[in-house]
Amino acid sequence: MKRIHKALAVAMMSVSLISGAAFAQNKPVEIQMWMGLTGLAGETMSKYGEEFNKMQSDYKVVVSFKGQYPEQRAAAVAAFRAGNPPHIMQMFDAGSGDMMGASKAIVPVSEVFKRAGLAFNPADFIAPARGYYGLKDGSLLSMPFNVSTAVLFYNKDAFKKAGLDANKPPATWPELVAAAQKIRSTNAAGCGFTTTWLAWIQLEQLGSRHNLTVGTQSNGRGGLNAELNFNNPLYVKQVQTLVDMQKDKAFVYNGRSNDASAAFQSGECAMITQSSGAYGGYIRDAKFDWAVAPLPYWPEAKGGPYATTVGGASLWVFNAPNRSANEFKGAAKFLEYLKSTPVMTDWAKTTGFLPATNAAFKYLTDEGYYAQNPRAAVAIGSLANGKQGENTGGYRFGRWTEIRDFYHEEVEKSLQGKQSAKDAIENSIKRGNAALRSFEKTASQ
Amino acid sequence: MERRVIFPNKLLPYLLVAPQLAVTLVFFFWPAGQAIQMSVLSQDAFGQSVTFVGLDNFKEVLSDPDYLKTLWRTLFFASAVAICALVPALLFATMAERVVRGATFYRTVLVLPYAIAPAIAGVLWLFMFSPSTGILAYVLKKMGVDWNPRLDGDQAMFLVIIAAAWKQISYNFLFFLAGLQSIPKALLEAASIDGAGEWRKFRTIVFPLLSPTTFFLLVVNIVYAFFDTFGIIDAVTNGGPAKATEVLVYKVYYDGVHSLNLGSSAAQSVILMAIVILLTAVQFKYVERKVHY
Repeated sequence: MKRIHKALAVAMMSVSLISGAAFAQNKPVEIQMWMGLTGLAGETMSKYGEEFNKMQSDYKVVVSFKGQYPEQRAAAVAAFRAGNPPHIMQMFDAGSGDMMGASKAIVPVSEVFKRAGLAFNPADFIAPARGYYGLKDGSLLSMPFNVSTAVLFYNKDAFKKAGLDANKPPATWPELVAAAQKIRSTNAAGCGFTTTWLAWIQLEQLGSRHNLTVGTQSNGRGGLNAELNFNNPLYVKQVQTLVDMQKDKAFVYNGRSNDASAAFQSGECAMITQSSGAYGGYIRDAKFDWAVAPLPYWPEAKGGPYATTVGGASLWVFNAPNRSANEFKGAAKFLEYLKSTPVMTDWAKTTGFLPATNAAFKYLTDEGYYAQNPRAAVAIGSLANGKQGENTGGYRFGRWTEIRDFYHEEVEKSLQGKQSAKDAIENSIKRGNAALRSFEKTASQ
Repeated sequence: MERRVIFPNKLLPYLLVAPQLAVTLVFFFWPAGQAIQMSVLSQDAFGQSVTFVGLDNFKEVLSDPDYLKTLWRTLFFASAVAICALVPALLFATMAERVVRGATFYRTVLVLPYAIAPAIAGVLWLFMFSPSTGILAYVLKKMGVDWNPRLDGDQAMFLVIIAAAWKQISYNFLFFLAGLQSIPKALLEAASIDGAGEWRKFRTIVFPLLSPTTFFLLVVNIVYAFFDTFGIIDAVTNGGPAKATEVLVYKVYYDGVHSLNLGSSAAQSVILMAIVILLTAVQFKYVERKVHY
């Protein structure tokens, strides 16, 4: 009797063990994704995570917001050092150089898809994004997701009030200066022009628009020994123009990042150079008639206007010692879902970001979305259909977030009247090069 | 004959202080130790390559003219915050002490701002002074002031000083009020009988007797301005424009989190640690001795 009991107990135990193991197999593998998006874009991103989880049962994607990009990156660095980084992390354009320098911390997305046995063709992505986040051999390091570029938004009501042609936005900087002065002299608005993202627009996009270098080594793509060389007179002229326009408030400085957006949205400033990603917000909140135009250019530059370059963010896959092949596969599956045409088109329509894949772009075009929304078509036009040059493919420098702030600080000093525009550019280059050398030292050890 | 209660158990006292010690070790000594360790290393953000560099990080920080400028800026900021937080607090405390009816109400209201997190306090002031939408910015513009703290460094500094001091007034108020209440009434009455006016009484009796409290608060406020104002600066100015509001603790954060320059950031926090140890020593040496009058 006792023996039977014992046998039964063993049998029951083994049954429960087996079922336990089976249960463990069925339990979805968790895939952590960190994003730096808030508001509408953040909600939409979370929604894709939930939809992916409903579609299949092998993996469970957890999308979480860990702060703005720099904070999130610092958190990911700490998590990586502790051996447990997120599987996928979204990182903004300026952080790309740092991520590429961390060769042991990341797995290139092309490699992630290959390991997972899933088809992945970098050529599916729109060329400018492919160039920004890719290697020379054509493979992609990170997957472009929220793509944007710089454009000019202008208040048509203020243009009419100033006696300007509201359907003929300024195409060049001299035209923009004249329009801003007209707006001020007629008092059609309290300020003529303002800009968001100072370094990204007035330095990086300016370089791309005129096919000028920002640094040596193909703007940092050729190696860590790149040096900054944005000392072309046009960069100085740009700063000088802003300084001069401050008179009579033809230009008002409203901060480094997105703070200036409120000045356009409230009607105070009649024109703003801004990320195309602001489109969705203005549709919802601007109480006046507005339109979008390509980023202005300088007519004296050789070769006419070139394309603007990519901004926004891309998705990186982290490496970690204890990470299983199955987890990488889960990350690849989720990325595959995100780049699918239905998700990409929904993303572009909901948020105002640009479609990152050619298929999504074609779908939206065929559907007539751009014909019906000409304002949304401007950004993709100036990014993808603009003239390409050797300096329109984006930048790859280490510590670029910090170098952008050097530029911000130095230009702020010029705007305060404490130094010349030439000094601002020269000091930014000098400080930026010091940071690049220090990055080179630590990254290549 | 001693009448102290003594536990014969040798282990119990250690057991009782163990939780406190554990908290101190884990949350204070461990991170402090790590900061010291990192301050003598040079490494990339992801820790792929780490080399020992001795005191190079300190040399680099202390020979950086920007760092020295930030140090002077911090001293100015801390003194301005301390003055702007102490003077109104003393004024409010002397006023509140005279109120008889509804005294509890006034005191509660005056203490309330202390319950607000620094970052929130910063955001509140930012809203009121925001050039495009703020109500106080509107008033300033009507008065003919060209208000734009995003470009004007002095205006930005003014804004963070006000926001930082405003929050601290409540705390100072509490201590001043307690200090005032402990001043013997007999002294004040005697002075009144001798015909001293309010100002004279304040100057010759109240203020000297309050001086230990004032000194204590001065140290506390300086420490606050040095270390706890990070949230306000981050929310209001991000240290800008052109570094106009970058104080030491903000630079530690910026160099560590934004630039991922861990060695320099760690060296700076070790320097800050030395400053706070110095300030605490000063406080113990002078305040603890004089506080019993």
